[in-house]
Amino acid sequence: MIVVQHLAKQFARPRRWLRPVSDPVRAVVDVSFTAPDGHILGLLGPNGAGKTTSLRMLAGLIEPDAGRLSVDGVDVVAHPRNATARMGILSDARGLYPRLTARENIVYYGLLQGMPRDAAEARAIDLARMLDLTALLDRRTDGFSQGERMKTALARALVHDPANIVLDEPTNGLDVMATRALREALRHLSTPAGGGKCIVFSTHIMQEVERVCDSVAIISRGRTVATGTVATLLEATMQTDFEEAFVALAFTETGCA
Amino acid sequence: MKAAWAVYCKEIIDALRDRRTLIVVLVSSVLLGPLVLIVLSGLLAQFETQAEKRVVVVSGIDHAPSLKNYFERQTYTVRAAPEDHEDLLRRSKLGEPVLVVPEGFEASLLHGDRPVLELVSHSGNRQAEVGAGRVRRLLEGFARERGLLALALRGVAAEVLEPVEVLGRDLASQQSRASQLTAMLPFFVLMAVLYGALNAALDTTAGERERGSLEPLMMTPAPRVAVVAGKWAAVASVSTLIAVLSCLSFLPAQWLLQSDTLQALFQFGWVEAGLFITTLVPLAFALSALLMALAIRCRTFKEAQAASSVMLIGVSMLPLVTVFNQEGESPWHLWVPVLAQQTMMSRVLKGEAVPLDMMAIPIAVCVVLSIAGVMSVARSLRAAAVR
Repeated sequence: MIVVQHLAKQFARPRRWLRPVSDPVRAVVDVSFTAPDGHILGLLGPNGAGKTTSLRMLAGLIEPDAGRLSVDGVDVVAHPRNATARMGILSDARGLYPRLTARENIVYYGLLQGMPRDAAEARAIDLARMLDLTALLDRRTDGFSQGERMKTALARALVHDPANIVLDEPTNGLDVMATRALREALRHLSTPAGGGKCIVFSTHIMQEVERVCDSVAIISRGRTVATGTVATLLEATMQTDFEEAFVALAFTETGCA
Repeated sequence: MKAAWAVYCKEIIDALRDRRTLIVVLVSSVLLGPLVLIVLSGLLAQFETQAEKRVVVVSGIDHAPSLKNYFERQTYTVRAAPEDHEDLLRRSKLGEPVLVVPEGFEASLLHGDRPVLELVSHSGNRQAEVGAGRVRRLLEGFARERGLLALALRGVAAEVLEPVEVLGRDLASQQSRASQLTAMLPFFVLMAVLYGALNAALDTTAGERERGSLEPLMMTPAPRVAVVAGKWAAVASVSTLIAVLSCLSFLPAQWLLQSDTLQALFQFGWVEAGLFITTLVPLAFALSALLMALAIRCRTFKEAQAASSVMLIGVSMLPLVTVFNQEGESPWHLWVPVLAQQTMMSRVLKGEAVPLDMMAIPIAVCVVLSIAGVMSVARSLRAAAVR
C-alpha cells in the first residue's frame, strides 16, 4: 500500500557567475495518489511532468519540500530505510555492473537488502525463470541488449520479494514481445497467486495504461490532474478514445479531478 | 557491517575483473621501478669498466719518448689517435679524450721550455669527459715526477714541493652512499600506491554515477556509511596489493644488477621491504579516501580523471621538496602525507632507524584524512546519485 499526499518539490537553479538568481524550477507542485495492495496504478503524464521526481522522493532519494509519503504505513521521510526495504524500485537510472554476471548483479542487491547469500541465490534463479533470463544468468552484463539489461534490472529490484513495486517507465526500450511478457508478469504479481503486490508504474504510453492498470493518476506540470479507472476518466471527459481523454485532461488548463 | 562486506566483495571482484587496467597498472608501477634500477646499474657498470680501462689515446706519441715511457710504467696502453678524432669526439663516436703531442716536444722538455700538451675532449661527450679527468691526473703525475727529478738533481727534498698532504675521509656510510643512487626508489612505490588506487577509486564513485548504477544502489536500505566503507576498503586493498607487489619486485631485481658497486651498496632485503609496506599501507587508505572524495563530485569518469590529475601532480612533486630543500629532513615533513612517507623510506634505505614515535605522526595524519574523506563521500553520495 503506497499513499502519496500533496507532494511538492522545487529545485534551485545552479547559480551563475555575475547573473541574477533565477527562479527555482517547480518540478512537483501537488501530486497525490494511492495504490492499495493487489492493485496496479499507472502514473501517466507527458515528458517532464514530474513523474520521475515524484518516484525519486518515494524512493527516499530526494527530500520533499511538502507532502506525505507512506509505504505500508511507514513514513518515507522519517524512516527511509524501513520504507525502501518494503519497496522494489526500478528507477530511471538502471545501470548494471558490466563486469559482473547477471546473477552476481541480482545477488549483490539481495545482499544489500540484508538477505542471506543462499536465499538471494535461490531468489535470483526464481526471478530468472519468471522473467525468462535463465540462459543469461551467468553471462557478464557487458554485452546485454537493452531488453536484457532491463530484465536484469527488474530482477535486481524484485530480489527481496517486496510487497510494493515501483517502476519508472519500465517498458522503455523493450520490444513488443518483451513488453507483453512484462505486462503478464506485472498482472501476475498483482493477483493473490503472485503475492497481491501493490504496483505503481509511470509511463507516457496510453496503451499500457489501458491494458494493465486498475487505475490511473494523470500528472501534468507537477500536479495530479485526474485519478480514476480508465472507464471513469473516459466518462468524465465524455470521450470514447483514451488518448483524447488524456490530452483533454493533461493539456487543458482546467482538468477535472 | 554485512552490507559493507557485501560491497567490499563486489568491488574487489569488479576491480580484479578489470584485467586490462590491472595489467597496465602492474606494468607501469610494479615493473617500472626495477626496470629503471636495472638500466641504471647497466649504465653504472659501463662507467666502471671505463674507469678501469687503462688506455691513453695520443696523437704524435713518437715526439715524446719520455712521456711514452711514463705511461708504460703506469701500466697504461698507448693507442694512436685516429686522423679525424676531432670529428669523432664531436659526434660522440670516440669515448676517449685525445692527447696531442706537438713536434719537438722532447727537445723543448729537455730544454725547460714548458712545451704545451693539448688534451682534446668535448664537454657534450660524457664518456670522453670522464676520461679527460683521468688523463689529466696522469699528466700531472708525469709533470710532478719531472719536477721532482729536476729538484732532486739540485739537492732539494721532495717535501718542499708538497708542503701539505691532503687525506680524504668520507663520512657517508656505505648505505647512505647507495641511497644517492636509489633515491628514486620511494618515488616509484609512492606512484604505485597512487596508480593502484586511482582506477578503483574512480570506478566506484564517478564510474557508478556515469553508469547510472549509483541511483539504484542508494535505493537499497544499506546504510550509506557501510556502502562507502566497503568501497573505500576495497579501493585501499587494491592499492595496498599493488604497493606490496611493487615493494617486493625490488627484491628479485637486485639479483639482476650488473654494477658491482650498486649491488654492494643497494641493501634492500625483507626487513626493508616490510618497513616500506608498513609505511605505505596507511597512505594507501588515506589516498583512496581522498581520491574517492574528489571523484564522487564528478559526473563522469573522464571528469574525475581530470580532477585527479591535480592529485597525481601533487604526489609526484612533493618528494621533490627533499631534493630542493638543502636543510635535509625537517620536522614538518612528517606532517605532510607523501612527503612523510618519502622521508621515512629514505631513512630506511640509508639504514637509519625509524623510531615508533616518528611513524606515529604520519599514521595519525593518514587516519584523519581517511575519516574526512569517507565522511565526505558518505555525505555527498545521495546528492550525487540523483544529479
